[in-house]
Amino acid sequence: MAYVRFNLAIVISNNLFTFLIMKNRTIIVWVILVLLTIAVGVISSLSLSNAAIVIIVLSVIKFIGVSFYFMELKKAHVFWKASVLIYLLLFSTIVLITI
Amino acid sequence: METTQQVNDKNIYYPPGGILLWIIIFLELITFGIALIAMVISSKENPTIFHESRLLLNTAFGTINTVFLITSGFFMALSVNYLKQKNTNKALLFLTLTMLGGLLFLVLKGVEYLGKIEAGLTIGYNTFFTYYWMLTLFHVIHVIVGLVILVSVYVGLKKKKSTTTIEDVEASAAFWHMCDLIWLLLFPIIYLLF
Repeated sequence: MAYVRFNLAIVISNNLFTFLIMKNRTIIVWVILVLLTIAVGVISSLSLSNAAIVIIVLSVIKFIGVSFYFMELKKAHVFWKASVLIYLLLFSTIVLITI
Repeated sequence: METTQQVNDKNIYYPPGGILLWIIIFLELITFGIALIAMVISSKENPTIFHESRLLLNTAFGTINTVFLITSGFFMALSVNYLKQKNTNKALLFLTLTMLGGLLFLVLKGVEYLGKIEAGLTIGYNTFFTYYWMLTLFHVIHVIVGLVILVSVYVGLKKKKSTTTIEDVEASAAFWHMCDLIWLLLFPIIYLLF
């Protein structure tokens, strides 16, 4: 009985620990995403020669932040992670070549 | 619960939110992606019109709306995490905040649309505004559908004998995050690039 209680306590504390790490990581990702959004807005108002590249690259990073951390794609099978990254690579390359 | 979740997530057939929803997400991303690439190609024919029209958009509104959607997605992620910890009260609180973020997005979008209509910048004004209205309105429809789904999840979780499962909430969350993802593509290209 004591053994079962001990194991249960370990499982609960492990879950709590995982949750706290996940929560802190989610907060950090959110702060970064908001800062990147503000940075993109500021960069677009400046007359930089490579502004388009910077804007697209920062937007791709934001996309990865939302999909991998908020949608928990980080924990998913490699197929889904690779699919998102290939999509982003194709999309951003076509846009930057065309513009 | 945690062990099962981890095993399921690593399975190719069980991405977070479910395989069917991820198929929908990719179809949506491809559809919006093609439309945005078509917009960029069109801009090559009339670069001056696209540049001048882009300057008529309010970048501050677009930036604030991006922050609303990102924050809303952040609350959604917290809500799912709390639900996995079986803390339904906190999950409901963050679900409410998620919906509030979506509503604020719609209100600001409504204000922006009203300004454009009053200025005569409607769907037929020029090619840029045809793309602007088509793409942003199509996205707004997704946000409204997402809000309806979140309200139904909220009502389901609020019931004493709730039949709403964590899989249901994860699928709804994936749909809501999809609205974020689409906006993260629309915002830089429509509001900033040209």
